[in-house]
Amino acid sequence: MKIHFTVNGVPSEVEARPDAMLLDVLRREMRLTSVRETCRIGVCGACTALVNGKLISTCIFLAPMAEGAEITTVEGLGGSHPVQRAFEEAHAFQCGYCTPGMILTAKDLLDENPRPSDHEIQLALSGNLCRCGCYVKIVEAVKIAATRLTWLHHTSSGTSRAR
Amino acid sequence: MPDPRVTGSIRYAQDVELDGMLHARILRSPYPHARVQRLDASAVPDGVVVLTPDAVRDLHRYGCQIQDQTVLAADEVRFAGDPVAAVAAPTKREAEEALNFIAVEYEELPAVFDPVEAVAQEAPLVHAHHYISENDAAYFGMRPVDGTNICHRFCIRHGNVADGFGQADVVVEETYHVAGAQHAPMEPHAALARWSGDGRLEVWTGTQTPFNLRMDLAGIFGLPEDRVRIICPPMGGSFGAKTFVRLEAIVACLARKAGRPVKAVLERNEEWLTLNRHPATVRVALGARKDGTMVAKRVECWVDTGAYADCGPGVAQKMGFASPGPYRIPHVWVDSHCVYTNLPPNGAFRGYGAMQSIWASERTMDLLAKRLGMDPLELRLRNLLHDGDLYCTGEMMHDVHFEECLRAAADAIGWSENRQGKGLCVLLKGMQTPSRASIVVEAENDDTYTIRCATAEMGQGAHRSIRLLAAELLKVDPERVSFPDPDTDLVPYDTRTTSSRSTYMMGRALVSAVRDLEIDGKRGCGEVVDQGGLDPDTGQGIASSHWHQGAAGAEVDVDEETGKINVRRVHASIYAGRVVNRPGAELQNEGSMIMSLGTALFEGIVFENGQTTNANLSDYNIPASDDMPVLTHELLEREGAAIHGLGETALPPIPAAIGNALYSQGIHVTDLPMTPEVVLDAIDRSSDQSSAVSSQLSGASSNEPDRMRNVARREPDTQGEKS
Repeated sequence: MKIHFTVNGVPSEVEARPDAMLLDVLRREMRLTSVRETCRIGVCGACTALVNGKLISTCIFLAPMAEGAEITTVEGLGGSHPVQRAFEEAHAFQCGYCTPGMILTAKDLLDENPRPSDHEIQLALSGNLCRCGCYVKIVEAVKIAATRLTWLHHTSSGTSRAR
Repeated sequence: MPDPRVTGSIRYAQDVELDGMLHARILRSPYPHARVQRLDASAVPDGVVVLTPDAVRDLHRYGCQIQDQTVLAADEVRFAGDPVAAVAAPTKREAEEALNFIAVEYEELPAVFDPVEAVAQEAPLVHAHHYISENDAAYFGMRPVDGTNICHRFCIRHGNVADGFGQADVVVEETYHVAGAQHAPMEPHAALARWSGDGRLEVWTGTQTPFNLRMDLAGIFGLPEDRVRIICPPMGGSFGAKTFVRLEAIVACLARKAGRPVKAVLERNEEWLTLNRHPATVRVALGARKDGTMVAKRVECWVDTGAYADCGPGVAQKMGFASPGPYRIPHVWVDSHCVYTNLPPNGAFRGYGAMQSIWASERTMDLLAKRLGMDPLELRLRNLLHDGDLYCTGEMMHDVHFEECLRAAADAIGWSENRQGKGLCVLLKGMQTPSRASIVVEAENDDTYTIRCATAEMGQGAHRSIRLLAAELLKVDPERVSFPDPDTDLVPYDTRTTSSRSTYMMGRALVSAVRDLEIDGKRGCGEVVDQGGLDPDTGQGIASSHWHQGAAGAEVDVDEETGKINVRRVHASIYAGRVVNRPGAELQNEGSMIMSLGTALFEGIVFENGQTTNANLSDYNIPASDDMPVLTHELLEREGAAIHGLGETALPPIPAAIGNALYSQGIHVTDLPMTPEVVLDAIDRSSDQSSAVSSQLSGASSNEPDRMRNVARREPDTQGEKS
């Protein structure tokens, strides 16, 4: 079947089986390899994408359900989104495999809660597993990003806050 | 340029593709031990390439230390998950479906699932013969015992342990168990193979061991080594999982048959069927004088290597020589057995055997402290090794910092103020010895430099550390130094990227390479060889050319109703010598500590009749961000000191520090992980009896399982005779 959606701002049409998961469509058809194939049961967060602004584990999300949706992956953030820069600054990764999912989850948290406590950060990221164990620096990264986003928000009426 | 890890543009082995490639899937045995009576693949649809045992029967056996594997299990399957056939098709789905058309008939055979039971005379044999590998990963004398399931036995005979125990005022003895664990790298195993027109094999694979892999693949196909090329993209984590031959032989066979490239990526559950951490049973007896001076120690390890040895002999050896701990003990007797069972194979895992024996030995230190009425810190300090002391291997200790590490850990958790709910652990861990590293530095025309080096990047940051060291020596900006993915056609030999050895070994090889480059102008080569090794029958020699040293402290509460441990804080003090890449070094400490919390509290593979019952990331939990306690650590540095490896030192001490913190509250836990059930059992036991510790060497402690008593009865002569 044909599925239509907008991925990282680009309207797209893909051919997929009705039982295909969005993960496979994004990875294989759209070549978006930041969306990672790991647990296949929706518990590790490595396949996270934003679908209509919601955090979705794409490994258990049927592709046809994304019909008409707006999908954002880390490729769509460019490379200098404040959360991405904060992760680099805090050295908040080792192998980098879980990092795209972490960044999208952190972005979603900060969109909802611009000044989270350490505990709120730990809870919000608890569905994204990092086997390298970079959590100490990941929490730091989210705090750096929070400060930067708040500052950007105050100085430019919110327009430069990446959505 | 943003880091490719934050943009998602990094390409792992899982992402490598070639035109026309097929996707492979593996058919696995459902039985832990069975004879394959018939395998019929004639119904597999056209267009699917099938690999059956008959097609690989002519290929050579392989195995990095013991040659006990064939590309597919030919006539006998030895664990539930053993590959019996493989297919390749244009899509993974077609390959998956094709597996359903292969009919296999099995005749079940008796199986064994426990390493202690597996050494009993009546135990079914997992392998009839033991063939020692010619791979250079078999770097010490293998001591398989034919006609048994023991594929290696490592011994330390230092002093006279019977005399030693005779001098002891107090002897404590206990038996410990550590469950198997899964590495769970977020990127699963992935490999792609292609045969070039002139019959060369090229493999893209996430591996820590490119040269060992090349050697085994060449051996399998009867090719000269230079007819095999291994290219190593960065790995999405490994922790020891991506070592030696995993999927590579199967995809190479499929690619040869298909005449096209073939790629395999494991499904998550298959990770548990590919390689895990060794479950182990460790029995410790420790004797001391009234003043706390240690006089004798006896350790026996039963290391469950599963159905294939892999590097289990090496793990058993390291478990054995780490078990005396960083102490002066005049009489030491160690027997460490690497034992086959009908479980999935076990191999290298961050900590490499040291964690299992440190758990047992450092818990026993606190039992001894309690028996003597001494402060556990004082007991350790009284016995710690210092520069110039002889270890039980006969080697002289050098660059020793155990006391600094231990005092720092004790201070960090406020030991002197109050010891309730607190525990300590100090460790020594060896580095792969002997060891050889070589590196090439090339000067390019545009004033940039290229590193040619086999060190694999799995997230540990070795490439960055080596680039930083090279930039320092070349006196250029690190951005001018590039480090392409290792490719055995282009890089010089290196032992492997394991054992926290790369920065230490390659850092020294770099110094000669840069010196050589200054003379040559275009290309400089450097090599470092650390000699050494142990006699497996006596444990004498050089265990490690440099020692990883550290200590940890933990502070915990226990809910005595539910058995749940609440870790309030953990701290690790790790000797670094000199830090090269500070954020990288911190991440290695933090990552080791977080991984160890899983080992300590909840990670354990559950088997039922040889079947893995929790092979997914929902039933098998790994630490998440909200599992973190207050976690602090420090890197101890000294002016002018040598670099010390850091990749895993902070992992082994954490479980024992937590266990000892429980013991300070009267709860004596012997098994890892310390799940609420295990803790509740320990609480029940401690209320049943005042002491879990026997006072006599000859008597097994009261909470020992029956099977341990059987072993003790079976082998008394051995213990007496060689001591």
